[in-house]
Amino acid sequence: MEIHPLLVQSGASSLAILALYGLARFLGLGGKPTLSDQDRLRAVADEVDSGFSIDQQAVDRSGTGALVKDAGGRIMVIKRHGNHFAGRILSKGAKVREEVDALVVDCGEARFGRVRLSIDNPASWADAINRL
Amino acid sequence: MPDFSPTQYAVPLFVVAVLAEMLWARLRRPEAYEPMDTLVSLAFGLGSTVAGALFGGLALYVFIQTYEYRLFDFGAEWWTVWWAWPLCFVLDDLKYYWVHRAGHRIRWMWASHVNHHSSQHYNLSTALRQSWTGAFTFGFLFAVPLVLLGFHPVMIAICGGFNLIYQFWIHTEAIDRMPRWFEAVMNTPSHHRVHHATNPRYLDRNYAGVFIVWDKMFGTFEQERKDETIRYGIIKQLGSFDLLWSVFHEWIGMLADIWRSPWKHKLSYLLREPGWTHDGSRETSDMIRERWRARLGEEQPQPESVAPRNPIAGRGEAA
Repeated sequence: MEIHPLLVQSGASSLAILALYGLARFLGLGGKPTLSDQDRLRAVADEVDSGFSIDQQAVDRSGTGALVKDAGGRIMVIKRHGNHFAGRILSKGAKVREEVDALVVDCGEARFGRVRLSIDNPASWADAINRL
Repeated sequence: MPDFSPTQYAVPLFVVAVLAEMLWARLRRPEAYEPMDTLVSLAFGLGSTVAGALFGGLALYVFIQTYEYRLFDFGAEWWTVWWAWPLCFVLDDLKYYWVHRAGHRIRWMWASHVNHHSSQHYNLSTALRQSWTGAFTFGFLFAVPLVLLGFHPVMIAICGGFNLIYQFWIHTEAIDRMPRWFEAVMNTPSHHRVHHATNPRYLDRNYAGVFIVWDKMFGTFEQERKDETIRYGIIKQLGSFDLLWSVFHEWIGMLADIWRSPWKHKLSYLLREPGWTHDGSRETSDMIRERWRARLGEEQPQPESVAPRNPIAGRGEAA
């Protein structure tokens, strides 16, 4: 039986891809940054929305996510993605659920996913999101 | 006729180079790589090869038909005309500049090209993060003038392959700056980092493939600055490693916009720049830059002085 060259090439490439992925893990590349310092939080908020100025903030206790609010009342949810961060400005469609000692924020984008935040004063943030 | 695909031969080199950069990252900057991001980028590369083999036929058909109407004939053994090769390479790179610029300024084209920009990392694996859906845009039509000039489609494909190979090595943070003369003429890691940046200053800049001179000629060049940390990726970072979502998210977004918008605006969602909306609810790169400039109180920068007599560079903001 003759195997199509494209299949052979794809098979070999798949193996090389998995090997490089494994090597990246083995070498410990990546890291787990946190939002523990204010400069990073400001930079991440600015990356999500250029010029976003933080008026209030609630950083997750593990530093993997945050809720920030600007003077205009816009609320942004931030989560760790790989060894970077990604975020969304919440709109009317955003949903929030309170759990024991945590808040689960759903920005309305299924692929972005829900963000679970263990923060101080979760009720007031939930209230603010519900009022958007 | 030569039967040669330079990119196929380059694949082992790509793998070794990624490997070497990973070792560099281990020693110097472990954060330069992220395993899942690398996996997605490399899967993009593999999928792009398969998609090219499956869907590249239409472009080939158009080129072969167009070749019958060529203005100049390099003869039956066109590949023996040595000077046609460098000429084709330079003209193909000029074509690349425009197709790439269109890839950033026309949403239909961006829906495909966004794939290459969707990583928040900038390393050699990012270079392999190539689109699966290029065949569903009209990008291939930019090569039609070259075919009409008489360059055989195979010659253009080979030159295009070498162009792509050149662009591989510039996707790195491991190299700071090349010698000054090289930076002046060629596309380099420094110039291309600017292209992949989402900082307002850098948006939609440095479209060049091999020769950076095109950006300087057409008013889209921006120098990398030491005092500004580059953020890579796209304006609305995906926040997901889902491969299929990464491939198709902008197509889905564009089609949803077309579906939802009033009839008179539908075509604009296809042909206008990414971020454009009929109700102003989102921002284009120009709007983001203007807002940033206003915030900083910056004046409109003067066009680069490299092409003072160039009529295009002098007319305000380049697209």
